Amino acid sequence: MTMPRSGVFVRPIEPPEVAVEVRGIVKDFPATRALDGVSLTFGRGEVHGLVGENGAGKSTLMKILAGLNTPDAGEILIGKRRVTIESVADANSLGIAMIHQELNLVGSLTVAENIFLGREPRSCGFVRRRRMEADAASLLVNVGASIDPRTPVERLSVAEQQLVEIAKALAVDATFVIMDEPTAVLSARETRSLFSLIRRLSASGVTIVYISHLLPEVLSLCHRISVLRDGRLVTTVAPKESSEANLASLMVGRELADVFPRKLPPPADPSIPPALELSHVAVAPVVSDVSLRVAPGEIVGLAGLVGSGRTEAAESIVGIRRPNAGLIKVSGHAVRFHGPREALAAGVAYVSEDRKGRGVHLGMSCVENLTLAHLDAYGRLFPSRMRERAAAQSWIERLAIRCPDMHAPIRTLSGGNQQKFAVAKWLDANPRVIILDEPTRGIDLGAKREMYRLIAELASQGLACLVISSELPELLGLCHRIAVMRQGRIVGEVEGDAMSEERIMYLAAGVTGADAPTGRKSA
Amino acid sequence: MAAAESESPASFPTGPTGPTGPSGNAGGHETPVQRVLVFLERYGVLVAFGVLFLWSAIFAESAETFRRPENLRNILNQNAATGIVAVGMTIVIVVGGIDLSVGSIMALAGAIGVIVMNKCLESGMSEVLSVLCGGGLGMLVGLACGSLNGLLVTLGRLPAFIATLGGLSAYRSITLAIAEGGELRANATEVLTTVGRGGIPVIPASIMPSGSALIVYWNIILFALIAIAGEVILGLSRYGRHVVAVGGNETAARYSAIAVERVRLIAYVLIGGLAAVAGLMLTARNNSMSSSQLGLLMELDAIAAVVIGGTSMAGGKGRVWGTVLGVLILAIINNMLVVANVSAYWQGCVKGVIIVLAVLIQRGRR
Repeated sequence: MTMPRSGVFVRPIEPPEVAVEVRGIVKDFPATRALDGVSLTFGRGEVHGLVGENGAGKSTLMKILAGLNTPDAGEILIGKRRVTIESVADANSLGIAMIHQELNLVGSLTVAENIFLGREPRSCGFVRRRRMEADAASLLVNVGASIDPRTPVERLSVAEQQLVEIAKALAVDATFVIMDEPTAVLSARETRSLFSLIRRLSASGVTIVYISHLLPEVLSLCHRISVLRDGRLVTTVAPKESSEANLASLMVGRELADVFPRKLPPPADPSIPPALELSHVAVAPVVSDVSLRVAPGEIVGLAGLVGSGRTEAAESIVGIRRPNAGLIKVSGHAVRFHGPREALAAGVAYVSEDRKGRGVHLGMSCVENLTLAHLDAYGRLFPSRMRERAAAQSWIERLAIRCPDMHAPIRTLSGGNQQKFAVAKWLDANPRVIILDEPTRGIDLGAKREMYRLIAELASQGLACLVISSELPELLGLCHRIAVMRQGRIVGEVEGDAMSEERIMYLAAGVTGADAPTGRKSA
Repeated sequence: MAAAESESPASFPTGPTGPTGPSGNAGGHETPVQRVLVFLERYGVLVAFGVLFLWSAIFAESAETFRRPENLRNILNQNAATGIVAVGMTIVIVVGGIDLSVGSIMALAGAIGVIVMNKCLESGMSEVLSVLCGGGLGMLVGLACGSLNGLLVTLGRLPAFIATLGGLSAYRSITLAIAEGGELRANATEVLTTVGRGGIPVIPASIMPSGSALIVYWNIILFALIAIAGEVILGLSRYGRHVVAVGGNETAARYSAIAVERVRLIAYVLIGGLAAVAGLMLTARNNSMSSSQLGLLMELDAIAAVVIGGTSMAGGKGRVWGTVLGVLILAIINNMLVVANVSAYWQGCVKGVIIVLAVLIQRGRR
């Protein structure tokens, strides 16, 4: 990012003083072996990157250190001392804290209450609120957040919540902080400030384990990078000796072809009305003016920082939010949906950015998730199980979903495979417009590539695709056209040669000069 | 897609691929203890029922009395109404709600049924027609009460607990007002007796030890049919799938193009109708209804049966067959306590222990 790869941060020449070591960790889940004898060392003050495809075992390994899972075999050593970690409290008392991909804060409680949840400073059984808030304030300053500790967490942005999580980790005097996909929900600017925080923590001797799918980030941030594949450690490399392509091929165990499929020219028949057309749509208070057209067979990107109103605009199309101004047309007809059900009936599908909360039903089986959105197609009163199974089987093959048992709850699948079902669920209903909100969030490179291929293939068959993403290389590599949102309005559209990361960032951030472009190369 | 072919299929070295049951939990890495826990979590209620039944029928001091076909039939007969309500309660709980007003709906439906039937008889209608009118109107009242509950929960956005707590109080109060706090007696005794106490002989007299044929009452047959229908609806139908989806995660269900409000509304209408059936059934059996007693505390018995049956109070997961077993477990225990001459005061205590134990066993692994 802003830091050159070989700049301030070079790999420590001396082998780092080992803070934590794991030896031969094995963890079995009912249908899979998640970890198969992983041994790793983490140095004091080291930023240790952990990469691998979905289901490679990164999160499982870290959950073991954080006390959320117990290993079936193997040992954990902290400073040569063998320890057992059976609960989050155990982990905290050993100085280990984990910041999860899904933030675990209690929305209705204040920032200070969240930071000290379960460890409130007390006297005579009463919480010492003043002291708690003062301590929280100083921790927040420490992580570079300007948040009032008395604010309820539900009013914070995702990025701010992330900082609260980090403050919470520091509050337990953690010397070993695990971050699972921390930048997945952050804008470029927020990412930069997170990185400088990580560097400060590292300099003060805190070990950071950094799990991410964004290889450029990992390469620029970490001292060492360990690659996991199918529950085993492939290797540990220094960023200087590696590259994105190198890491990617280590992760998948084979050379990756080009990540993005070849772009077909967008269809240009002016006589066909756009599949989806928005004119001056507003949804108070977040969206003020959005105009957009997506033709059949076209892939249009919607870029913008987190909080710019992209998701809200998309939700207004399918009627989850009611637009209070403007016009929405589907294939030339004005529509006003009252919810995803009506939208789907008119051929418009919306795949939510929030996979676990909205995209899939974690407790229901893969098959049930797949057919849920249009179960009536499988029988008005009694869905035909046979046809459901056949549909699931064909999507599993078509999208290469790793699913050992389609009748198992979908929560047993890795994130990327869940995401494939979350998309397949809508494709199975055969829509003419699909709105994909962060379709590759938190999934690995191999799965991303398959997702891109799928989107391109669907577009080539005439589906109109609107892709919302915070990953600019993804939009650049995939879309025919990219509309950029800032503060609730479309501030520009780029097409063809004008599409560049700098140009989009310039529009999205509304700033000039040094702050505008990120250093990330477009794919 | 080419990617599908290059994907290594051997990346899941373990885990059986065959038909391993609906949740695929029979993986190869579970210890025997875990396997027992999983089994108990899923079929604990079946085991409990089996053990209880065998003990009552073979080993208990009163086993001989217990296992007499008449006694078993009577147990079913006495608990058919609870069972019918509990089937509806299962669906309401799986959809993520609760209905506390069922007992009061039973009473109101029974009262309206008796009054309408008596009025019809007075105006010179035939007995059969009068019974049909009374029953029909009683049913309509139940469905209306259920609709009102459902509308308060969906359109009114009230928590189900509050909306139906209102119903619990209001519907009972209306019944008491109509009946002036007393009993309402039915006049069409002949037809009503046929409905309420009649049935079909299942075991002929020649092979019955008592020498008279075993008649299975209509109540029991109705309960069985409703239980089967409930299991089919929840387990196999599209509506049932939607119920599970809404109860499991309402937001995700809404995003999945499901008519969430309609799914919830239907559940309340359904249980309102079933409560009316139960109320009318008891009224027919007794030829009368007591405005203060009919259906009293039914909501607690129904919820207890649902919970014992392994349905999650959090919604999104449940089964009607478990509820039926839950009803039977409570019924057998009650019967045993009566036969063993245990004071009625202690029966509630035993029931309480059973409910808590059942949930403890089935609460699942951490």
